[in-house]
Amino acid sequence: MTLVKKTGLTLLFIGPASIFFILIIAYPFFSGIYYSFTEWNGVNAKPIWVGMRNFIEIFKEDSQFFASFWFTVRFTVTTLILTNVLAFAFALILIQPIKSRGPLRTVFFLPNVIGGVLLGFIWRFILVNGFGTIGELTNLQVFMLPWLGSPETGFWGIVIVYTWRSVGYLMIIYIAHLLNIDTHLLEAAKIDGASSFGMFSKIILPLSMSAITVCLFLVLSWTFKSFDIVLSLTAGGPFRSTETVALNIYYEAFSYSNFGIGSAKSLIYFILVGGVTMLQVRFTKSREVEV
Amino acid sequence: MKKVLLFVIILGAVASMCYASGQAEKGSEVKELNLFHFKVSQVEQWEEITEVYKNVVPTVNLNIETVGGAADWSTALKTKFAAGAGPDIFIVDGPALAKTFSEYLTDLSDEPWVEHVLESAKRPMVFDGKLMGMPFNIEGYGFIYNKAIFREAGVLKTPKTIDELRQAAEKIQNYGVTPFGNGYSEWWVIGMHLMNIPFASQPDPEEFSNALDSGKTTIVENEIFQSFKDLFDLTIQYGNKNPLTTDHNAQMSLFNTGQVAMVQQGNWKEVGIYEANPNAEVGIIPIPVNNDPDVSNRVPVGVPFYWVINNQSIVQDEAKQFLNWMVSSETGNRYLTDEFSYIPAFDNIKSNLLGGISNDLLTYAGEGKTIPWSFTTWHDGMYNEFAEHTQKYVAGKITYDEMLQDMQDSWVKLAK
Repeated sequence: MTLVKKTGLTLLFIGPASIFFILIIAYPFFSGIYYSFTEWNGVNAKPIWVGMRNFIEIFKEDSQFFASFWFTVRFTVTTLILTNVLAFAFALILIQPIKSRGPLRTVFFLPNVIGGVLLGFIWRFILVNGFGTIGELTNLQVFMLPWLGSPETGFWGIVIVYTWRSVGYLMIIYIAHLLNIDTHLLEAAKIDGASSFGMFSKIILPLSMSAITVCLFLVLSWTFKSFDIVLSLTAGGPFRSTETVALNIYYEAFSYSNFGIGSAKSLIYFILVGGVTMLQVRFTKSREVEV
Repeated sequence: MKKVLLFVIILGAVASMCYASGQAEKGSEVKELNLFHFKVSQVEQWEEITEVYKNVVPTVNLNIETVGGAADWSTALKTKFAAGAGPDIFIVDGPALAKTFSEYLTDLSDEPWVEHVLESAKRPMVFDGKLMGMPFNIEGYGFIYNKAIFREAGVLKTPKTIDELRQAAEKIQNYGVTPFGNGYSEWWVIGMHLMNIPFASQPDPEEFSNALDSGKTTIVENEIFQSFKDLFDLTIQYGNKNPLTTDHNAQMSLFNTGQVAMVQQGNWKEVGIYEANPNAEVGIIPIPVNNDPDVSNRVPVGVPFYWVINNQSIVQDEAKQFLNWMVSSETGNRYLTDEFSYIPAFDNIKSNLLGGISNDLLTYAGEGKTIPWSFTTWHDGMYNEFAEHTQKYVAGKITYDEMLQDMQDSWVKLAK
């Protein structure tokens, strides 16, 4: 009876969550794997099994997929560095006893609350119309550039918006972590005559590695999958130069009506992203220190 | 344990009650007719139609679903079908999408309205001799131009060829207005509508596209595509700044504020133009492909969408009845012409209150000076690729010949 009772209770607690997990995540994931071996336009009742053909086609003929991949990598690396450096700097400043630090923390965090698509449209307006007008008024070269109209400005446009949006979130994580660092350590170092740079590089940074692991992982997984902001900001244009892999997969499936190839691409991408993030977590974890 | 048992029993009871009530609804007399369209601007009118139609046929309840604007309505539609919840009546934008949905389409050849549909509007939706879709209206595009600016700049005759258009552009430039407002960031402006012109200006566009499919000819060696370079260059040379960041809204605001004299758009912008400026003097001129006025002086006219009926639907007869009501009853006609401001695709529906653009289009159509919307027959994905190649050319990344070669390569790749 107790065994029955135990399994019953276990089922009661885990059951609902498992059902939703299976329905919403596991089932689509595996059916996606199935579709990646088929030719399907998304509408026909029966997909046709084609074996490995989709994968061969992607590697042999689809140069745009790899162009998108290269763009995503450049974008990810740039954003990764920019957001983390900025967030760490903001966090360091905002743990100092400044009067306005409460409101400032809120202000920096606020962009995170706005939805991605909306944010993209707002920034599209700022970059295209706002910058253009500022350029006309001030004759500053930066604002006179055709923002979002060339591959370079498109790239930096997306980087700026992404950084602007994510810095606040990471900053909160860093602040929480920095506040947890034992002040005795810093005081002791100060008495021993450590310079503030020495204190930063020898004490604060090593002790923050666990927060850095988290933040790197977060940005890595956000930017690799980035879709909404890019869609509303440039939609991959001009001439597909700012197309992220997520957008590329979307276009393949829904504009080109190749659900099979689209699924195959997402499978390849899943394996790559999974691999990279695992490596990153393992690498930064090995650098973490404990007191 | 008892509590768990009780919980399960209650859950079961609730579930069976839901099931029972669902059953009851099915048995009642009112039938649900689900309709899917993408005209976001018509949401209110469709709500009215739903109410009105309740009085016409009390046993049918219309459910209207609208997905559109810049949103991917065809994505939503495909998703619905993939989920097994295809609507009873829905929209396809042309034969290419109709082919995608071919296994769901119902033959409409025997419907009473068929004899009144304009021949050119019927043709794209005839498969194996069967008419599979019903058009509402025809649309056309070209260079919408500001008549006042043309007059004041001294352009008194509407240009028919590239050379004449260049002379006009020079005069307008000297007058102090930018001649062209290019919305080249918009894939459908540049990849679909602009690139349709050289395709549709071929002596036989259908044969040309078949010849491309079979490899008998190429885009690169085609004379019309080569001469089209002059037109493309002309719009860039005499165009607005940053065409690759100008979308269709920006384009229209340039036009409505008189900063540019021409925009490549269609009669779907007419309502907006008159809203911004009730006394606007506007008209439309064709986009020339060369210096031969017989080939060049033609507007592309086509059907923007067709209504089709899902053959899996259990209310097919009701669906046919509804579509027929829209084009044969007085109320239905009023919605087409007055509320939607359409140019009807039927010879028995009179349109009134049309603006300058629509009237110009009707004049060209009446004189037979039209070319088709060839892009409706392009393979899936071609708009995107053509937009990519042409935008590269606008940005100066590739030459015109490289652009034609890239378009050719895309065609070969996607025709497979």
